[in-house]
Amino acid sequence: MTAEERTIQRDRMRFIKNSLASNLAILGILLNVFYFVSIYKSDVGSWYYSILIGASIVYNLVFMLAVFLSSEGVKNYKKQYSYLLAVMGALQIVRIFIIPTQAHTAAAVINGEAVTVMQDGQFFRVVVYLVLSAVCLIASAAVNLVRCRELAEHLKTLDAQGV
Amino acid sequence: MATLNLQHIDKIYDNNVQAVFDFNLDVKDGELIVLVGPSGCGKSTTLRMVAGLEDISGGKLLLDGKDITAAPAKDRDMAMVFQSYALYGHMTIYENMAFSLTLRKENPNVIHKKVLAAAEILGLTSQLNKKPAQLSGGQRQRVAMGRSIVRNPKVFLFDEPLSNLDAKLRGATRREILLLHKRLQATMLYVTHDQTEALTLADRIVCMSMGHVQQVGTPLELYDSPANVFVASFIGLPPMNFYDVRVNSGKLVGEGFQVDLTAEEQHTLRAYNGREIILGVRPENIVEGSDVPVTVNSNENLGMNTLVHGHIGASRAPNTKISAKLKGWRDYKVGDTASFTFKRKHFFDKETTNAIKGGEG
Repeated sequence: MTAEERTIQRDRMRFIKNSLASNLAILGILLNVFYFVSIYKSDVGSWYYSILIGASIVYNLVFMLAVFLSSEGVKNYKKQYSYLLAVMGALQIVRIFIIPTQAHTAAAVINGEAVTVMQDGQFFRVVVYLVLSAVCLIASAAVNLVRCRELAEHLKTLDAQGV
Repeated sequence: MATLNLQHIDKIYDNNVQAVFDFNLDVKDGELIVLVGPSGCGKSTTLRMVAGLEDISGGKLLLDGKDITAAPAKDRDMAMVFQSYALYGHMTIYENMAFSLTLRKENPNVIHKKVLAAAEILGLTSQLNKKPAQLSGGQRQRVAMGRSIVRNPKVFLFDEPLSNLDAKLRGATRREILLLHKRLQATMLYVTHDQTEALTLADRIVCMSMGHVQQVGTPLELYDSPANVFVASFIGLPPMNFYDVRVNSGKLVGEGFQVDLTAEEQHTLRAYNGREIILGVRPENIVEGSDVPVTVNSNENLGMNTLVHGHIGASRAPNTKISAKLKGWRDYKVGDTASFTFKRKHFFDKETTNAIKGGEG
């Protein structure tokens, strides 16, 4: 890419929304939906009937709201939303060690028979959802940070040129 | 840019209604042609046929000598600006202007350059991040023009683009279109029912009525030498006054008045001696004099001019109505008697309504 093309690409950011970062954040929400649907549809007696699952539901609602707002923020090159997305992404990794890990090692008694709450297949699936969701959110944050920096530099150059 | 040739174009709708009859026009490269006429005269239909939005029932349409009569609209390389702007409300001005090029999958950097260049021409650079709803009517129309400019089409088509604007904005946008034409040197076809737009914008005007071309010419030709009564009555504001008169050995005798003919006028009317013709006089060609007695009905002072409306003589018959645009400030009262003289006269054959030219007879 020539220097001129690079400059034009940066200049386009003045008028084009940051749809890559925004779409990555939305994809992060979608993967999180796959995660909690997989968890909530589990039918293993009363193992999931705990305060943990209540907190998980509330967290999912907060997560979706926060990430959606962040997706709108990064769409308009707002730097502070990158930090929020990065934190939400990191928390997705942490979540692997809460419900999925506990359920994977726990057993529930159904009809007098002990069964594993979360089978290997479901465990790996939800872990993949959470990891991918985290990757999307962190990538979204990174893309937005890089583009915000480029845009700020470009605007500074334009200011200096009196444009 | 391009030349455009319309050869014997007809438009017949499915219900057998014919909207355009034998339309012929050669548009030169870089020319701005204005199609003018009253509502329903076929001017917009003609433009839509050129754009490819209506099928051509008969005749040929050539662009740069290539027959595009049956070509679909997308292959004609023409851009149309509509009265209603046709902007996407959810997109920014930048996105609206870039839209057609994005659809064509052009390089985003090239699109960016073209949009910025068009915005610069139209003075829209500071508005590019706004939505259409945040702009005034004039600015929206400029965006619609910008969307055409970025495509760099061979021909620009305008379908009554100023009709939605108020009078002040219309004047300003009209001047912008004129500047745009001078800057781009583009071939343009412009449809309007507003004669002021036609006279101020056009290199040539096509005056239409009932699907027929009445006259093609420069604005001055249409104003000064109208081909028939329709063109004479349509071009000019206030409209021309018309009277049935008899040519009587060097005089024109009408209801309640008679005026002398100059030698040149007598020569023009030599074949009509003793016959009835239509006399046309523009309000601005009437001065205070002694030939035509007028009973004043109203006096409208416009500052530089005064519009005097009345009837010739004491009659109040519709065919004796007269409007005069007198220079300066006048204070005629209703019922006053004034006396006017016709300075420049137009003559029309009573049967054909065509203008009587000097060489005829």
